[in-house]
Amino acid sequence: MNKTPALVCALALATLLVWLLAPMSLPERWSDSETALIASLSLSALPLLGPDPGNAVADDERAARLGHRLFFDTRLSSNSTVSCATCHRPELAFSDGLPIAVGTGMGERNTPGLIGIAHSPWFYWDGRRDSQWAQALAPLETHFEQGAGRGAVARLLAGDAAYRAMYQELFGELPAADQIPRHASPRGDEAARSNWRGLDPASQAAINTAFANAGKALAAYQRKLMPGRGRFDDYADRVAQDGAVRQDGRLSRDELAGLGLFIGGAQCVNCHNGPLLSNHDFHNTGILPVAGQMPSMGRFDGVLEARRDAFNCLGEFSDAAPGQCLELRFARDDTELAGAHKTPGLRNVVRTAPYMHTGAFATLAEVLEHYNEAPVAMLGHNEAKPLGLSRRELRQLEAFLHSLDAPPDTASQWLTPPGKRQRNPERELPDR
Amino acid sequence: MLRCFLCTLMLLLAPLPALAEEQPQFTLLTSDGRQLRIVSELSPLAINRIHSWRLYLTDADNTPVHGAEISVTGGMPDHDHGLPTRPRLTGEPEPGVYLLEGVRFHMPGRWRMDFSIALNGGPDSASLEFEL
Repeated sequence: MNKTPALVCALALATLLVWLLAPMSLPERWSDSETALIASLSLSALPLLGPDPGNAVADDERAARLGHRLFFDTRLSSNSTVSCATCHRPELAFSDGLPIAVGTGMGERNTPGLIGIAHSPWFYWDGRRDSQWAQALAPLETHFEQGAGRGAVARLLAGDAAYRAMYQELFGELPAADQIPRHASPRGDEAARSNWRGLDPASQAAINTAFANAGKALAAYQRKLMPGRGRFDDYADRVAQDGAVRQDGRLSRDELAGLGLFIGGAQCVNCHNGPLLSNHDFHNTGILPVAGQMPSMGRFDGVLEARRDAFNCLGEFSDAAPGQCLELRFARDDTELAGAHKTPGLRNVVRTAPYMHTGAFATLAEVLEHYNEAPVAMLGHNEAKPLGLSRRELRQLEAFLHSLDAPPDTASQWLTPPGKRQRNPERELPDR
Repeated sequence: MLRCFLCTLMLLLAPLPALAEEQPQFTLLTSDGRQLRIVSELSPLAINRIHSWRLYLTDADNTPVHGAEISVTGGMPDHDHGLPTRPRLTGEPEPGVYLLEGVRFHMPGRWRMDFSIALNGGPDSASLEFEL
C-alpha cells in the first residue's frame, strides 16, 4: 500500500497544528510611531475633564448629589417604574445588556455605557444633543424611555421636601408644587401639549428652568463616572518609556498581538483613538437597520435636531456664552453623515454587550467579524474596508479588548442608589 | 483660468506638530504667488480638540492682503472622507490676519486642507498636507 498520501496528510496536519498552537514571534520593540500610538491610548494621557460652559453647576458636589438621587428615582417616569439607572446599570458599565433599550416602552437604539462619556462633545448615537445636561433631559420626555414630561419633573422637585431643599440651595426659588401641572410638556401627548399651551409664559419659563436644572444636576452626577486604569494602561506607560514590547506578563502574547493589530493592520485606532478609545465622532460602518425600522440617517439628522434643541449650548437655558459653543457652531451637516453613528469608547467594552447602535451583535467576536467583512452599507457608504484577518488574528484583537477592562475610577457611593449601603458590584469583579 | 482652480501646493515650512515647542505653523505659496502663513492656536496640534487657526495672507512684496474671503475644505485622502467639522472664517482682527474657527481632526494620519481665496483681483488658492 502506498503510504505517501497518509504521510502528506500527517505532515500537513502537523504544520497546521504548529501554525495554530506555536507561540507567534513578537518583535522586541515597537516602532517609534507604534510607541507614540500606544502611549496615546493610556489613561495617563487622558486630560482632566474640562468644564462644561453650558452647565454652571457641572462640578458642584451639591449638584452631583442631587443628580445622583434623580438618576436612581423611578418617579421620573410616566409609570413610576423607570429611572435612568433602569437602562444605565452600574454593574454593566452603565449599559443594560439588551439589544434595544426597554424603558416605559420598547426603544429604538442600544443603550450606550456612560463611563467616561462626559469627555464627549456629543451625545446619543446620532449626536442629537450637544451636552450631557441636554442629553439627560431627552429621555425624561421621550414616551418609550421615561416619558415623565417636564411638568412632572418640575412638580417632583418642588413637591419632594428633600429635592426642594437641595434644588433651592443650588438654583434658587421654585414655584409651589400645586402650581405646576403634572402632565404638561410641549413634547408630550396631545393632553400634555394642550396643558402646556394653557400655561402663561412665566409659568412655562419657571418649569423650563427647573427642568433644565434637573438635567444639569444629572450631568454633574454622571461626570463622576470615570474609567479606571486597567492592565493595558500599566503596559502602555512602560512602553512609553523605552518602546520595548516586553514579555513580563502584563499582557499575554495574544493580547500583545491584538494590540499590534489594533494600532496596525486592523486600523481600529483610526476611530477608536485617544485614552477613551473613541474620537467621539460619527462614522458609517455598514450596520444593518433594526428589524422593522427604516435605516437610521444617524448624524445627518442628529446634528439638525441638536441645532433645534431648546436646551442646546446656544439656547436660553445654557450658561455658556455663544463663543464657547464651538462644536455646535461649527458642526458639519452634509450628506456624508448619512448613516453615520458615534464611535463608542472601548474602555469597558467587555461589559456592554450587545453591540452597535442597533444591538445587532451579541458578542465582540461578531463585531470583529463584521469589520473583517465590511459589508456594503444600506444607506450612505461604509467607511471601513475589508480587513482580511485570520480567525487567529480576530481572537487576538478580542483578547486585547479584554485588557482594557477595569472597575471605574469612581467612589463607590456613586455606584449605588443614594442612601443604600450596598456592596459595590463593580469592585467585586476580579481582575483578569 | 485653470491655474485659479488648481491647487498649487508649495509647502515651504512644515514643522511636525509634535516636535514644535512654539505654536505649530505652516507657510504656503498660493497659486497666484501670495504667501499664506497658518498658525495653530492649539499647540501641539492634536486630534479630537476643536480649536482655531490664524491665517496671515501677504502679497509677494510682504504687504498684508486685506478683505479676502477664504473658505476651507479638506479631509483625509487615504480614507476618502472630509473634515469632521465645518471650519470657517469668523473675522479679520488685523489687516491680512484672518481667524479660522472650528478646526478639529479626529484621526491620526495624513490630512489635507484646501484654501479658496476670493479677492478683487480674482480667485486664488493653496493647499496644505500634513501628518497627525
